[in-house]
Amino acid sequence: MTASRPAPRIRPDTRARRQHLLMLAPYLVGLVGLMLLPALVTLALAFTEYDLLRPPTWVGLDNLTALVDDPIFRVALLNSLVFAVVAVPLRVLVALGLALLLHRRAPGVGTARTATLLPTAVPEIAYGLLWLWLFNPLYGPINQLLRLGGEHGLTVLGRTPPPWLTDPTSARAGIILMSLFTMGETFVVLLAARRALPRDVYEMAALEDATGWDVFRRITLPLMAPVLALLAVRDAIASLHFTFVPAFVVTDGGPPPYATTYLSLFVYQTGFEYLRYGYAAAATLVMMLLTVAALLVQWRLIRRYRRFYQV
Amino acid sequence: MSGLTLAGVSAAYRDATVLHEVDLAARPGELLVVLGPSGAGKSTVLRVVAGLEPATTGRVHIAGRDVTDLRPGLRNVSMVFQSYALFPHLSVAENIAFGLEVRDVPRRTARERARAAAETVGCAGLLGRRPGQLSGGERQRVALARALVREPDVFLLDEPLSNLDLTLRVEMRAELRALHDRLGATMVHVTHDQTEALVLADRIAVLRDGRVEQVGTPEQIWRTPASTFVARFVGSPAMNLLPADAAVCRTGDAPPLPEQPLEVGFRPEAVTLDAAEGTPATVDRVEVIGEDAYAYLTLAAGHRVVARVPAARRPARDESVRVGVRWADAHLFHADSGRRYVP
Amino acid sequence: MKPKSLLALALCATLALTGCGSGASGPDPVKLLVFGAPEELGAYRTLIEAYQDARPGERVQLIEASDRKDLLARLATSVAGGAPPDVFLMNYRFYGQFAAKGVVEPLDQRIAGSTLDPADYHPVAMDAFKWEGAQLCLPQNVSSLAVYYNRTLFTRYGVPEPKAGWTWNDLVGTATAMTRDARGLVIKGTEAEGAARLPAVHGLGVEPSIIRLAPLVWSNGGEIVDDPVKPTRLALDSPAAREALKNLIDLRQAYGVVPSDAEVEAEDDESRFLNGRLAMLMTSRRATTNFRTITGFEWDVAPMPVYRQPVGVLHSDAYCMTTGSKNKDAAWRFMEYAMSADGQRIIAATGRTVPSHIEVSRSPAFLDPDQPPRNSQVFLDAIPTVRALPTVSTWPEIEDLSYGILENAIHRGDRLDDVIRELDVKSRPMFARGEHG
Repeated sequence: MTASRPAPRIRPDTRARRQHLLMLAPYLVGLVGLMLLPALVTLALAFTEYDLLRPPTWVGLDNLTALVDDPIFRVALLNSLVFAVVAVPLRVLVALGLALLLHRRAPGVGTARTATLLPTAVPEIAYGLLWLWLFNPLYGPINQLLRLGGEHGLTVLGRTPPPWLTDPTSARAGIILMSLFTMGETFVVLLAARRALPRDVYEMAALEDATGWDVFRRITLPLMAPVLALLAVRDAIASLHFTFVPAFVVTDGGPPPYATTYLSLFVYQTGFEYLRYGYAAAATLVMMLLTVAALLVQWRLIRRYRRFYQV
Repeated sequence: MSGLTLAGVSAAYRDATVLHEVDLAARPGELLVVLGPSGAGKSTVLRVVAGLEPATTGRVHIAGRDVTDLRPGLRNVSMVFQSYALFPHLSVAENIAFGLEVRDVPRRTARERARAAAETVGCAGLLGRRPGQLSGGERQRVALARALVREPDVFLLDEPLSNLDLTLRVEMRAELRALHDRLGATMVHVTHDQTEALVLADRIAVLRDGRVEQVGTPEQIWRTPASTFVARFVGSPAMNLLPADAAVCRTGDAPPLPEQPLEVGFRPEAVTLDAAEGTPATVDRVEVIGEDAYAYLTLAAGHRVVARVPAARRPARDESVRVGVRWADAHLFHADSGRRYVP
Repeated sequence: MKPKSLLALALCATLALTGCGSGASGPDPVKLLVFGAPEELGAYRTLIEAYQDARPGERVQLIEASDRKDLLARLATSVAGGAPPDVFLMNYRFYGQFAAKGVVEPLDQRIAGSTLDPADYHPVAMDAFKWEGAQLCLPQNVSSLAVYYNRTLFTRYGVPEPKAGWTWNDLVGTATAMTRDARGLVIKGTEAEGAARLPAVHGLGVEPSIIRLAPLVWSNGGEIVDDPVKPTRLALDSPAAREALKNLIDLRQAYGVVPSDAEVEAEDDESRFLNGRLAMLMTSRRATTNFRTITGFEWDVAPMPVYRQPVGVLHSDAYCMTTGSKNKDAAWRFMEYAMSADGQRIIAATGRTVPSHIEVSRSPAFLDPDQPPRNSQVFLDAIPTVRALPTVSTWPEIEDLSYGILENAIHRGDRLDDVIRELDVKSRPMFARGEHG
């Protein structure tokens, strides 16, 4: 409702406001202390040379210009972007598919929902180690399965199964595959979004004898589009981070040269392994800029859809 | 051939039976109103006809076809939902054309027919808007246009007027009736509003607890209610119901009462307060509605009665009056079953 | 109570809680930061217990990092945070970045004033931890590469065991003869396309890293960097270096005697050796602890093969004291003990190290004939010939870089010229950023 009723001229309840502030205080302290300050410090360090061991020295834009010329950084940036472009839509699609499949009450649906959520609940390192085993090119269950029915260690189609962690393309695909199973949060949001859609709209479509595809294309998809878009943007931002553990634990940034070195791993390696903290901070700055860009997209989407659905 | 027939249709929600072997028919071109209080199963009737709920027993025929086992899309019915169920992301034109487009009517033709339908219900000016930008009445018109664009065998209207304010409701009621007369279509209209039913209907089916209580023209429903339930549900204030042997003065031609437990019902219009030998009563309160006034009385024996009097001649509160009932307008019901007593 | 005072109270409570964390009685324990396998960590615990028993009142706290990279990160962040460990153990290849940045305490004065005699230790190890003339850390061990081999397999297939003075060609021949299929027949691993023809035993395992390549290049009379004192690039373009590199690559590409990348990914070389599926493994003394758990077969070590002259590569870890330590005297007392004959014997007993203490390294603590490998003398014999890798502060980056390039060279068969050029070009900026000792 945007009807402009004259706002009641009541003095704001200062006590209530103070209480709100008090209740927010722990969160604000945490936010400022744990997120904002480190972020600001990192921003500042991006313009310094700092090795964690000696005091930082101001170098201006040197780090950023060096990043532009750094082939490893460029590869890492490209890897991150490609990951986001491929994995994020896939993750959202998988989550959407499962949400549409599992939004109704039916026998087994509860179990299926839990199963969908489970990988997201596994600690990341353990999840990575699990996949290290799954991806084992000779003894891993995935390739054992692919070899079923084939002879001489080949698949049924007579091809060698993917050498998951030693071939750059397979390794990238592997990391994406890993990430597909941790879309639990997206799934939950989409499940809730789907269940919030009005039932009578679907009954209307049934009366018009709309096919499942028509219903999906003309109703479900457009109605869920705002949520999907927001989730995709959120996932894209998160993908800058959740590529870290798989790359760190499973592929160690390889196979060479840097096939799965994503921005997050690049930052970790340069910062903590090579002690180029200032340089790593500059790379972090680039990550932040990407995040801000994504947030702007998100903000525009919200505004656009709010105009669409204003009641 | 009948427009719509329900023969012995039952329906259940989870384990509770909500329709009990309902027999109901709407003739071609008829506007049948299903009337009942909430929970009577009115909407379920529509949903079973539309195929949105399965019938556990019985058969449903539409335009002579047995559609009981057909999916909703093959029944050729249109429905207007109480919430209108407009697609929020589609324009009015797209909303109206939706049913045509998913049935692969060419886009151009679909849009032309959508425009025509919109003109029929007077919302052609809204075609470019989205539902979010429409008022309640406008949405209702769009929902109607969407229902009639496809020329279905039966229109199903599920309390389409209940979300409108009173003025608009009265206006839309008249338009709906006019629309029906213009189209000559078979319509089933569900409502809990007895006035709406009386004004709109060719025939009314009164539903109670999943059973048909009475089917008849508004006239029949009003004049000869088949049960105390119908008698009290139709009319406002509700019909007075007293034990037939209650001491009340009968005016006019009053035959002797049969020797069995009966209840007598009479509308407030049948009560007079100035009967010479009337039953004494006191006035509890008086409601004035324009030219009319309703006097709420307590008879000497303790029974409560409502009387309609011209406002100009209304009694005062606590005044003692003498009550008489015009016996020609009274109805007798069996005291145990509540069914109408037919001598 | 007013909200403001409540808040103040809550903050006070938090401060009090965090403040009293360090208020325990007695002197602070010496914090020792190490990483390693469970057996190695066990050895450090034994060392600490022995120390605390021998010197009542002294306390040492072990801080365990999960691996080398974790240790580096922990050390750097704790230094930056102003609460570094007092002592840490680090390889000379990685200590350069800390040495260059003044994080490591010079020890010359303390050595002069103590019973510790530098002459008791292998000089090559001591020298590796000198930075601009100052002794920064005390080497705990002095290891080098050796060829571990599965004696039982050699006996079964009737192949002569490797012996001192063998050449690279001998190694290739032996590895070829030891690469066998499931029926025990000699097989060429390069044709490894189907499971039926996969080798069941590979002849040799060797990491595609610069520290494995270096001794081979040196032995052939080449260098791995342009200037061993002030290196500016990886320079493998000399004929000697080229030949050694090509021969290393050929192990996979021409002879197929080392496992393929998929096979390594499926089962690393050390596990492969443990499981009796690898005839020889070129690695350092570190593997011994792990291999002593082997019960299914007999194994031993042989010296590295020789091109022209025997040259080994130094592997050495040292105890280093941080300049930021607030407990330097106690830390030094622990270091003294760890470096003493007693301390060295305890660590040596795990088999993990070749003791840097000359006397201990020649004693049964290291040369115990009852513990495999019988031929531990190999490690001592190599010491006079070992060379250290350049200590430049950016060495960790250079190792990671070269590992990737060499891995691709060995497993993907990149062109030799491209490999050498890539190592050269990409290592230049890293050397340029580095600081030298």
